[in-house]
Parts: sequence; structure tokens; C-alpha cells
Amino acid sequence: MIPIMYWLILSLLLFTVGAYGVLSRKNAIVVLMSIEIMLNAANINFVAFSSYSSVLHPGSPEPAALGQVFALFSIAIAAAEVAVGLAIFLVVYRRYKTIDVDKINILRW
Amino acid sequence: MFLDYGWLIPVIPFAAFLVVSFLPRRYLGWEDGCGIAIAGAGGAFILSMLVVWDVVNGNILTTASPRYTWLVVGSYEITFGVWIDQLTAVMLVVISVVGTLVVIYSGGYMHEEGAGRKRYYAEIMLFISVMYGLVLSDNYLQMFIFWELVGLCSYLLIGFWYEKPSAASAAKRAFIVTRVGDIMFMAGIIILFKYVGQANPGSDPLHFGTLFQQGANSILEQGWISQNMLTLATALIFGGAIGKSAQFPLHEWLPDAMEGPTTVSALIHAATMVKAGVYLTARSFPLLVQTPDTLIFVAAIGGITALLAATTALAANDIKRVLAYSTISQLGYMILALGAGGILVIKAQSTSGYDAAMFHLMNHGFFKALLFLCAGSVIHAVATNDMRQMGGLRKVMPITSITMLIGSLAIAGIPPLSGFWSKDEVLSAVYSAGRFDWVFFVIWAMGVATAFLTAFYMFRMWFLTFAGEKRSEYHAHESPKIMTVPLMLLAALALTSGFVLFIGTGFGSFMGSSIESLIEHAAEAGTPLDLLVEILTSWLTYVALGLATIGILIAYRIYYMPGFDRAVFAKGVPGWFQRTLENRWYISKFYDDFAYNVVYGFSKLADLFDRYVIDGIVNGFAYLGANMGAVIRKAQSGNVQRYTSLIVVGIILLLVFVLYIVPWGGW
Repeated sequence: MIPIMYWLILSLLLFTVGAYGVLSRKNAIVVLMSIEIMLNAANINFVAFSSYSSVLHPGSPEPAALGQVFALFSIAIAAAEVAVGLAIFLVVYRRYKTIDVDKINILRW
Repeated sequence: MFLDYGWLIPVIPFAAFLVVSFLPRRYLGWEDGCGIAIAGAGGAFILSMLVVWDVVNGNILTTASPRYTWLVVGSYEITFGVWIDQLTAVMLVVISVVGTLVVIYSGGYMHEEGAGRKRYYAEIMLFISVMYGLVLSDNYLQMFIFWELVGLCSYLLIGFWYEKPSAASAAKRAFIVTRVGDIMFMAGIIILFKYVGQANPGSDPLHFGTLFQQGANSILEQGWISQNMLTLATALIFGGAIGKSAQFPLHEWLPDAMEGPTTVSALIHAATMVKAGVYLTARSFPLLVQTPDTLIFVAAIGGITALLAATTALAANDIKRVLAYSTISQLGYMILALGAGGILVIKAQSTSGYDAAMFHLMNHGFFKALLFLCAGSVIHAVATNDMRQMGGLRKVMPITSITMLIGSLAIAGIPPLSGFWSKDEVLSAVYSAGRFDWVFFVIWAMGVATAFLTAFYMFRMWFLTFAGEKRSEYHAHESPKIMTVPLMLLAALALTSGFVLFIGTGFGSFMGSSIESLIEHAAEAGTPLDLLVEILTSWLTYVALGLATIGILIAYRIYYMPGFDRAVFAKGVPGWFQRTLENRWYISKFYDDFAYNVVYGFSKLADLFDRYVIDGIVNGFAYLGANMGAVIRKAQSGNVQRYTSLIVVGIILLLVFVLYIVPWGGW
């Protein structure tokens, strides 16, 4: 069995890539895609910890597949979020003719 | 028998007060409520006389009176009841007689007031009611409540013409100055309540029955209170009397109180309310005789007041002010007689000083009310208070001039009028107290000097007002019957009230029986005849009488005999002395300066503190908030990625804190 640390390192790399994308990209759609990557990193953590629970806590009763269920919920919510986010970007684009997040900054002091 | 209905005495005028206040004007009948007021005062008068008759027959209602719980504080109960003894009886006589006659007289005097009369009669009824309540109280708290109500009525009535600035300010002045005394009175009550109440849980520590026990049961002998504390308490209670009875140094409100209607001056500021202080001192006598230091203080204040006020009256030109100062001076007599009387009780087992004070109180109530009502009659006729504008009124106002002459003779102490007997009793009591303390000889000398000055300034007033020629244009006329009849009745009382000294066993033994528990071995009481002989054979009598006569003669020479140049007399008086008297010894000015420089200065300081320090702090915080906001809001840039990066940095810092700093710090 692959040690859990490998999964966690994969998750960390994905999360870092996602975070970098969120912070550095100007295109709102790319930012949204980066957020999806971060979400998936979290999903990997869920599934990994759930699968390895008997290894991490020897002797405890076999758990239900809770982590997998959470991952499914997370994917569903992510899908809904993407739908809302893209709809907002569409409206923003119609109004300002741009979806550059640096230019959309009138909501301020 | 009638004693049991004593509590009704204040209720009757109070009912009249309610009726006059709350009934619409068109139902008030004659003179907008005067009829109702006369009924109220008259009802109280009749009941008072019945009660007094009971007391004269030897029945009193003191500790046996039914008491009703008014207030329960912890284990203490404050009860209200009535206390009717000989002292109360004398006060009832003065209040009922003077009160009733003044209300009747008001029917004529206040005729031109129009709509203000309703307010006038309501206030005067309230005043008479609470004054009865004051003298019927059986504990200090009940007394204090009525004491304050009396002060309130005085304020309302002095400020009756409140649209006149001088009246409004005189009312405020009277209220504030007497408040100084009232605070002292209250402090004295608090001391008694604290010590006697602590030693005596479950009792009513302010009830006279508790406080006034003598001998082995006295609050001092039982160790409930220390000698020093009791001295402080009695001195503070006397402080209340200083304020209310206008004694030095709180006397300056009384002359200013003359801004009110003259009837009010007669009733409140001469005959009844200012007597409340004397009454309080007399009522506290069982406590005072246990504190000789306070008694000396009482007598000294009385002597100083008597002389000071009499000298000030010499230079007054306002007819009512002359009478106001003479009132202060005569109140000083009563107070000094009480002070000396206390010493006589302690040292000589004699109640003569106490008797003399109350005797003078009663006589003064009658003749001073008479003098004020006469002055009111004069003012009613000539519409000015300034004696320099009067003159020659004798011919147009015969009844007023003769009754006022009777009043003046009475206050000057000419036999056989009432003032002669009581003033003589006061002076002889003070003189006999001199055997025990030389201070009383000094006070006696002040009293004798006051007697001389009194005769002089009263006749100066009478001659200036009634004798000689008209000095200004006025159309005077004699006052209507409703005003002159009370004058004649009061004149009859001023003529005769002195003789109660000799009726029955004599006024002295009647009064003395109210404090007989203070006397251990009563001296053999002389018969009234012995007293008469003693008065007529004592050289003291003739000193006072001689000086009074000389005073009248000097006034006659200066102010009556035609062709006498007053400047010659004035030349003999140094200018600074004249000016000092005209400025009332600068005491009033001192208070004004004190108020302006010290109190107002302090207020200004407080204002600066408030404006710069308090407001500075408050405004500083507001400024800080506003400016910090102006700086910090720049962080709200609208750039989503900046927010995100701050969140990431924040989370990293939080993680570092939780994972490394917290375990390292040992939390």
C-alpha cells in the first residue's frame, strides 16, 4: 500500500498550484479554475484519510465511507459554485467588457 | 377630650387648600376663595382653642398619642403621631389667632389682585396647615417634613408677585439661605437616628418620647450617644433654627422676604413661620440641657442677632424692612432667653428663661402681626414702602395710626403693654444666668442696648409715617372695615396678652410644666402676685424701661419736633458708621461677593474642566476614531486578489502561531 504521506504531498502540491493560480492570474475564469484545483486537493485529503483510517487507528471498528461521501458533496457544491461564478462573470463581462480581476475593483472605500 | 381630635387641626386648612386649588374660580365665591379660607382658618381656630382649653386644664397628649407607622427601615420604624403639651398650646394660640385674623384682613388687602387671589388663598391655607402640622409633630422626622413644607410655602408666598424680578430673587434667596439651616437640621437628625437607633434596634429612634427621657433614662446616661456627639447633634439642630428664625449669620433673607404681600410678611415672616426655629429650640430643650456648650452658643447667637438687627433697623427707610429687622432682633431675644433658660435649668433648677422665651414668642406674635398689618394698611393707602415719602398720615388714618402706636409701645416695652412684661422676663432671666457664666452679663448688656434701640427705631418709624406733614403727593384714606377690625382685635391682644403672666397660677408655671421632668428639685413657685412685686421692685425693670423711654424721647426730638435739624444729629454719627448701617453691616454684600467670587469662581473652574478636560477626552476619542478610519479604510482596495493574499498570509501566521508559538509558550 502506498504510504499516506504520498497522497498528502500530492494534495499539498495541487493546493499550492491552485493557490498560486488564484493569487497571480488576472483572468477571472482561470482564477475560478484554480479554485477548483484547490477544492480537488481537499477532496484527495478527504478520501486518503478515510481510506487509511484503519492504518492510522488500529483496532478501531471499520468506519463507514464518510470521507468519500464528503468528497462527493464537495464535488456537487463545486459544480454549483462554478455555475454561479460563471454566470456572475458573464454579467460582469456584459457590463464592463472585461473579466480582468484587477480592473473589476469599484467595490471599495 | 378634645386632645384626641388634635390631629384634625391641620386637616381643616388642608381641606380648604384643596378646595381653593381645585375648584374652578367661578365656584370660589367671595374674593375668589377668601370665604373658604376664612372657614378653613376659623375651623382650625375653634378646634385649636378647644385643644388649648384642654391643655390649660392640665391634660396633655404626648407619649400616649396613637402612632401610625409611616416608614419601616430595616429594624427601625418611623411612626407619626401628635404631641400636644403646653409648648404646642402656645404655638397653637399664636398660629390660630394670627392666621385667622390675617386671612380675614387679606379679604380687603388682596382685593385688587384679581385672578392671583385664588393662588394666594390656596398657598396661605397650605401654609397654615403645615404650620399646625409642624407644631403638632411628635418626632423629628415628621417635624422636618413639615419644616420643609413651611419653607416651600414661604418661597411661594414671597414670590407671589413672581413677575417682579426682585420678588423672584428674594424668594430664591429665602429658600436657599434657609436650606443651609435645613441641611444642618437634617444632619442633626441623622446623628440622633444613627446613635440612638443603633443602640436601640426595633424602636422609633426619632420619637420625642425616646429622645427626651431624663435622668437615668436619658440617651446620654444610657450610653447610647457620647457627650460630644450629642453636643454636635444639638448644635446642628439649632443650626436649623438659625436658618428658619433668621438668626445671625443666616438672617439676611428675612428683610428681602418683604417683597411678598404684607399679609404674608405678617403671617409668615413675623408671627408664625420664623417662630418655628424658636419652637424647635424650645422643643429640643430636653436635649439642649444635656449639652451646656450648645446652650452658650445659642445664647450668644441670640444676643448678637438682637443687637445687630436692631442697629441695622436704625438706618432702614423701608417701613417693612424696619419691621423685618425688628422681627430678627426680637427673635434674637427669644433665642437668647432659651440659651440662658437652659443654663438656669441646669444650674438653678428654674424654668424662668424658657418661660420668658415662650411668653415673648406669644406676645411678639400678636404685636408684630399687628405692626405688619398696620404697615400693610399704610402701604395699601399710599402705595409706597418708603417712609420718607409718607408723613402726616395720622389725620387720614386714625385707626391705623392708633393701633400702630399700640404695637410700637408694646414692642418698645412700655408698661402695661405685653412687650414690657415679656421683655422684662427675658432680661431678668438672662441677668440671673449671669451668676453662672459671665458671658450672660455681656449678653444681658446687649439685650438692654437692644431694648433702647428698639424703642428708638420703632418711634422713628411711627413719627416718620404718621406725624408731621405730608412729604409727597398721595391720596390716602382709611382702610375698609375688614382690614381695621383685625387691627383692633390684634391691638387689644397686644394690650392685654401680657397679663396672662398673672392669670391663674401664672404663665410661668403653665409653661414650666411642659419641661418639669428636667427639674429635679423644683424651687417653691411664687404666686403671680409675688412675681408682680418682684418685677416692680427690681432695678433691672427700671433700667430697661428708662432706656426705652429715652429712646422714644430721642426719636420724638429728632423726628417729630418741628424745626429740628436732623443733620445736627447725623453729624454726631461718623459717616462710615452710617454707611455701614445702611449697607446692613455689609453682610448681604459679603454673601453676594462670596457667591460671586468663590462659588461662581469655582463654577467657572468646573466649567473649564468640563469644557477642556472632559469634552477634550470625548472629542479626542471621536477624532481618533474618525482619523484611524480614514487611514485604515484604504486597505479596502476593491482588489480581490489582494484580499485573498492577505487571507493566505493570515492563515499562515495563524498556523505558525498555533503550531509553534502556542506549544513553545507552554499554554
